[in-house]
Amino acid sequence: MKVLVPVKRVVDANVKVRVKPDNSGIDLTNVKMSVNPFCEIAIEEAVRLKEAGVATEIIAVTVGASNCAEQLRTCLALGADRAILIETDGDTQPLGVAKLLKAVYDNEQPDIVLFGKQSIDGDNSQTGPMFAALAGLSQGTFASKLSVADGKATVIREVDGGLQTVSLSLPVVVTTDLRLNEPRYASLPNIMKAKKKTMDIITPESLGVDVSPTFEVLSVEPPPGRQAGIKVQSVEELVDKLRNEAKVIP
Amino acid sequence: MDLQLSEEQELIVGMVRRFVRDEILPLELDLDPDADQLAPADSQRLIAKTKEMGLYGLGIPPEFGGPDVDLVTRTLLAIEMAQHRAGLYAPCYGVFGGAGLAQLFEADDAQKEKYLYPTLRGEMRGFFGLTESSGGSDPARAIQTKAVRDGDDWIINGSKIFISGADRADYGLVFARTDPEKGRNGITCFIVETSWPGFHVRRVVHTLRSAHYATELQFEDLRVPHANVLGEVNKGFAIANDRLSRQRIPYAAGCIGVAVKANELALEYAGQRETFGALLSSRQSIQWMLVDNEIDIKTATWLTLEAAAKADRGEPFRKEAAMAKLVASEAGGRVVDRSMQIFGGYGVTKDFPFERWYREMRIRRIGEGPSEVQRHVIARDLLGASLR
Repeated sequence: MKVLVPVKRVVDANVKVRVKPDNSGIDLTNVKMSVNPFCEIAIEEAVRLKEAGVATEIIAVTVGASNCAEQLRTCLALGADRAILIETDGDTQPLGVAKLLKAVYDNEQPDIVLFGKQSIDGDNSQTGPMFAALAGLSQGTFASKLSVADGKATVIREVDGGLQTVSLSLPVVVTTDLRLNEPRYASLPNIMKAKKKTMDIITPESLGVDVSPTFEVLSVEPPPGRQAGIKVQSVEELVDKLRNEAKVIP
Repeated sequence: MDLQLSEEQELIVGMVRRFVRDEILPLELDLDPDADQLAPADSQRLIAKTKEMGLYGLGIPPEFGGPDVDLVTRTLLAIEMAQHRAGLYAPCYGVFGGAGLAQLFEADDAQKEKYLYPTLRGEMRGFFGLTESSGGSDPARAIQTKAVRDGDDWIINGSKIFISGADRADYGLVFARTDPEKGRNGITCFIVETSWPGFHVRRVVHTLRSAHYATELQFEDLRVPHANVLGEVNKGFAIANDRLSRQRIPYAAGCIGVAVKANELALEYAGQRETFGALLSSRQSIQWMLVDNEIDIKTATWLTLEAAAKADRGEPFRKEAAMAKLVASEAGGRVVDRSMQIFGGYGVTKDFPFERWYREMRIRRIGEGPSEVQRHVIARDLLGASLR
């Protein structure tokens, strides 16, 4: 059983990001980049499926500039068997990426496509569902548990206020939530082995996919800074402000 | 010449950096500021992880079952592993395993079975007993502890001082004079068990390092079987000279790791703290402190990596290791001092790691051969025989 895991290169979760002075986006100069944490959970889940004897091959795929190879190498060190880099310097948006992944899906014919539920940079949470729609596959999003048996995937989904269990026919799209698993550290032997694994580099053109942007980012604003506090004279004044200014008590 | 890390090195270093950030730092928040070990359950859980990562026993040479990693990569990892409060003397609280005593790698097979392998498995602890009250940097002259042959045994009398961890050890290496006429060539190294009659820990010597302490030892007619002579009689100093030079490299790396973390904290704080209506980072006096930190760290790092690279290539690296130890311990002290200054009053509280680093880093200029002895080693290398 083949598992395809699309991953994204994002700013490392521990970096305090800064908006560019002209508000055109986030300043990425000299910023540490990592595999999107939700995508890492997807890789981990794929590796566990393989360890459990369910999956036989794990393919990591990403779309982006040549330096995305670093993140693919990490995925290989974590246990992916091979990797595909769809190289483009252009602005890639969820729909374009979903179309590219559809082309890869058609070539590879995996049984399970494991996405992170969203990337921590764009926070769109769109690529997985868009891909599922394009490929005409059933999908279990925000998965906190996944089990695969007898041509079916059972996914426990994290929904507002509770959990929902769905049963889906393979091939299937699953997007991972935070609680699905705790990703392991890559081991030294696997890091050494990663170098010998295959990484195919292709282009959107070779897949015949048009990835031109469908929307334009007009401006990016940092969140407003915190206002300075004030001292109140009495409990009455505090209660009054909590009720009438902050409106946090009735 | 390529000063880039390889892709594998980037990955391994990144993995350990993440380990320190995600596993060590959160636990450290709840520990005593001077703690040098984790709760046993945490320790076991993390050791299981480092074993799975294939990085347990990082201080152990590959030929003795340590991970197959070159010294340059080990140095890079040691720099990462020191980047927390206890990082100088208890990097990652020991969850990457201990190295054991370098001299024991030269032991005979029976001695290895009895002492080295149990130590590498974490079942035994050893101490290193060289220094005496009469001196430590010049042990060939300073050693007054005597060992006299008695049939199949040796009988040791004398004392040692500043011996780390002897009160918690199962055995140790004791250097004693076996031929009073021969100076340097009259010293023998014995493996001594701490439970044997005549072995006494007289007292704990309190030092700047409050968590770890040194001890003073006394030997009264301590009987040691001849089988416990390490190496040859009267050749105690010939043992593991190369390995001792090698130890200076991780020693330097520890100082660099702490400096990196101190500077990182200072950089962050300077960008937040306002004085007289402007950020500290906008003050040139503070900027220059941060610049000097950066230069100190870079200088020490490249010197240390060069020493490691030479050792990896099998070239002589005694001078380079001495330079790395000297520069890293002194630069580390300066970086911690400046960073503490930038933090002002907070810098000296136990809420931050600076005060511990400040104390422990001061020892680094003395331990493992003081700066002056390192300069002596370098001078001897430069001037050769003409110095004698």
